[in-house]
Order: sequence, then structure tokens, then C-alpha cells
Amino acid sequence: MALIDIENLEVTFSGGGRHVRALTGVSLAVEEEDSFGIVGESGSGKSTVLRALCGLTPVTAGRISIDGKPVPSPRDQAFYRRVQMVFQDPYASLHPRHTIDRVLSEPLVIHGLDHVEKRVEQALEDVGLGAGFRFRYPHQLSGGQRQRVAIARALILEPKIILLDEPTSALDASIQAEVLNLLDRLRAQRGLTYILVSHDLAVVSHMCDRLVVMQSGEVVEELTREALQAHETTQTYTRNLLTASAGFTRSPARPR
Amino acid sequence: MSTPVSRQSLGDWLTSEQPVSRSQARLGQIWRTWKLFSGNRLGMVGLGIVVLLVLVAIFANVMAPYDPLLGGDLRTERLLPPSWEHLMGTDDLARDIFSRVVHGARLTLLVVALVAIIATPIGLLVGTVSGYFGGWVDTVLMRITDIFLAFPRLILALAFVAALGPGIENAIIAIAITSWPPYARLARAETLTIRNAEHIDAIRLQGASSPRIIWGHVVPLCLSSVIIRVTLDMAGIILTAAGLGFLGLGAQPPQPEWGAMIAGGRRFIIDYWWVATMPGIAIFAVSLGFNLLGDGLRDVLDPKAGK
Repeated sequence: MALIDIENLEVTFSGGGRHVRALTGVSLAVEEEDSFGIVGESGSGKSTVLRALCGLTPVTAGRISIDGKPVPSPRDQAFYRRVQMVFQDPYASLHPRHTIDRVLSEPLVIHGLDHVEKRVEQALEDVGLGAGFRFRYPHQLSGGQRQRVAIARALILEPKIILLDEPTSALDASIQAEVLNLLDRLRAQRGLTYILVSHDLAVVSHMCDRLVVMQSGEVVEELTREALQAHETTQTYTRNLLTASAGFTRSPARPR
Repeated sequence: MSTPVSRQSLGDWLTSEQPVSRSQARLGQIWRTWKLFSGNRLGMVGLGIVVLLVLVAIFANVMAPYDPLLGGDLRTERLLPPSWEHLMGTDDLARDIFSRVVHGARLTLLVVALVAIIATPIGLLVGTVSGYFGGWVDTVLMRITDIFLAFPRLILALAFVAALGPGIENAIIAIAITSWPPYARLARAETLTIRNAEHIDAIRLQGASSPRIIWGHVVPLCLSSVIIRVTLDMAGIILTAAGLGFLGLGAQPPQPEWGAMIAGGRRFIIDYWWVATMPGIAIFAVSLGFNLLGDGLRDVLDPKAGK
């Protein structure tokens, strides 16, 4: 049985008399220690899947279960110990007035874990930041360093499932590779399960074994990494995405 | 842990990019804010005036050459003009005005401090709770705030003092209950912009309770704009207290409250101008000091002011 099972998930945002159907029946199954990708254009609802899964966005209909058991709503402390998330923008996801030390030790305090000092130092070590970063404020760090702190925060409760919401799209290319390699290494070391949301097909094909393509709140196609790399797609939308991700090609000027 | 001060200067230690302890990081942050603030000349003037007010209030007994409540000889020492004997002259009961102004600093500081201590937490609490939870909590708390906002401050204070009886304590309570609504509004507006930030989502995902999020994550971000607003309001609070004193509803005679002193000097302002003018200058200077300090703080603390 799959570790994470999402069935017919629907999310509708209402406000001011308008209803926006962000998800119209999404079903996913993610195996344990799998790295699962969700790709799609902006507004396709891929981030909403993650936010609904961890309870930040209320679900309108459908079922979410982990290990065969439906997740409680509101989510309980045990859920937060198992599932953590890394956000898109490292400039917005760290509290500007808290030191890195506070960012990392607060979850430990909330969950009443012991050896706070040691765990914080270990967490910084694990993401490749030394103890020298511990008492800095976020404004003293670069974007890549901030995202490493965000990863350390997600890992400090030793969860098994990490939700990655475009973890590298706010970083420049060289830092992107570093962060992706770090995520890869951590998954291998700890047997983590990832759900990675991205609009970048290159990132997804590097990181994920399986992926789904989403468009306007629906899953259009499910692919393996091999199929993606071989461009074996059945849907026009996926093909368009692939073409778009190949970048701007200078096609020869057509004769008139 | 290394010994911090031995090798490097204190300034280097404070501005270190790699603090080695919680307290060093915090002190460093305070130091950076202070450096920024001390570059603001008008803000420093304001701070100077406020510090002077505090010092005068503390050392009033030492500084005042005469008793503020007991006058001199009523036959020869009434309404004397300013001189070296009496720096600000004497009033109609032969009391030394300088001594009364110095002791009045205590009352002014008491009003300012108590109003700040009562009104700021109420405003912050109502505003952040209302903004964070939204929905019906927000509606209820904001309508209550609207009701308090709808009363003119001085009139409500007047009604309150009339009900409880005149006196400086009641004046303080009256001013405090009429001055929190703007802080609640401000804190709510700030909270609305913060509550959907990713770092709030992140701490929610760590399983933090709402009180923890509001106190540890929302309040610190609202605090600077509320502090700025409170400092800028101090002038108004002093003026309201003086106004109540002037109307005879604040501090009662013979307390040396500045507003009451102006009221006392009003009757002979043409012939003996110094009786009303001297406490007036004191009110003016302290109000100006708080305004300058507030402006300076805004330049340093308000992220939206920009550079």
C-alpha cells in the first residue's frame, strides 16, 4: 500500500461571492522512500496539493491518508512530526527577527524534545552550515544559506515525509544545484519520502523517480523519469511543457 | 567558548558576523539599531529631552530650590518676576514656579508611563488577536474598537472623571481607555500583512499553538510600529492630561501639574505672563521631545519607511 494516498482531492477557494476551484479531483499515490514530482504551470494547483496535504488550506472534498489512516483535521502533533515542508521563498520563510538558533530550537521546544543544543548543532552540520551560523539573523545570510536553514528546520523533527514547494526556484542556478544535491543526499541518508513541486522539468527529472503533470487543477498525465527523459508523453500539454522547458530555440527564419 | 573582549574591541565584538552566543547576537542587533538611530540628529535631540525629563523627575528633590507646595511670604513674595532668586518667578501663592515645574515632571512622567503601560498591551493584544484569527473574532473585537474610537478622547475622559471623581489616577485611567483603539487598529493592520507570510505557515507546520505564534512571531513584528505610534502619541497624552488639569478634572491643587498651573495663571496672564508661560514652555518642550523621538524611531524601526 502507498505511504501517502490522496483520492479525489478538491479544494475550492471562496471569497467575495466568487468560487475558484483550485483542485478538481486530484488522486495521487506516493510510495515510501519515493521521490515524487508534481509539475505544471503557474496556477495549475500544484502547490495547493501540498498545502492541502499539510493542512494549511482547507479541503473541500476528497480523502488524504498516510499509512492507510486518514489524516486528522486539524492536524495533530504526531502529523507534524512525520510531515514537514520546505517553502519556496527563503526570504519569506524565515522570521526576520529570530536568530537561526531560535528558528531551529523552537520546534524542539514545542514537541518537548531533549538535547536541544546538540540537535541544533547537528542539524546545521547536516545541511552544510557550520556552528558559526547559529546565532546569526536571516538578514546576515545569503539566499542559498537561508534555504539550507529552512531545510534544517524541516528536518529537525526527524520527519519521514518532506514536502518541497519549489525549493530552488528563488535561487540562482549554481546554488540550485547545491541545494538539490543536498536534498538528494539527505534523502538517501535518511530514507525520506519527498513530494517535490516545481515548474522546472529539469529539476523534477533530476530529483524524482515518478511525476505527475497538472493543468488547471487536474492531473493530466503520470510519468516515470525514464519516460520523461525519452519524451514519451501521450498528452499534448506535457509535450508543450517539454518544448517550453527546452528554452528559446533560434529556429531558422521561414522563407516567405 | 572564546573570550570575547580580550583580543578585539567591544565594537568588533558587537558587530561580529559570527556571534557565539544568544546574548551576543541580541546585543549586536541592539547595537546596530543604536548606530542607526544615533545618526539621526533630531531623534537624538528628542531622546535628550526625554532623558532630561526622566532625570529631572528622579532628582526633583535635589534640583528644586524651594518646596513646590508651600509658598513663601504672601505679603512680599507673590507674583515675583523671574530673577536669580526665583528662576521662573513665583505664582499667586508665593510658590517658586521653577520648583513646581521640576516636580511637575514627575506627574507628567507618571501619566505618560502609566498610559503607555496600560494602553499599549491592550491595543497590541486586541489588534493581533483580531488580525490573526479573523472571522467573527475580528468582527467582534473591531466593532468594540470602533465604539471606543467613536468617542472624542477628551469628552470620554471628562465623562469618566466626572463619574469617578477628579484626580490624577482617574485621569490616567480615562486617557488609557481612550487611547488604545488606534494601537489595536495599527496592530491588526500589521498582523493582516504578516499572518499569511511563509514564516508563519512554517511555524504553524511545526505544531505551534496560536498563543505561541501570536506572542512569539506576530507581536515582535507589530511592536516597532506600535512603539513608534505610542511615542508620537505621548505628546497628545501629555496635552490631554494637561487639558484635564486645566479644566480642574485632572491633578488637584496643590499638586504641581503643568496643565493645572496654566489654569491657575490664566487669570493674570496679561500682567504676570510668567505664571502661565513657564509650565506652558515645559509642556511644549516635552511634547516636542516625544515627537522628535518618535520620528527618529520611525526612521530606524519602520521597515516601510525605506532608506
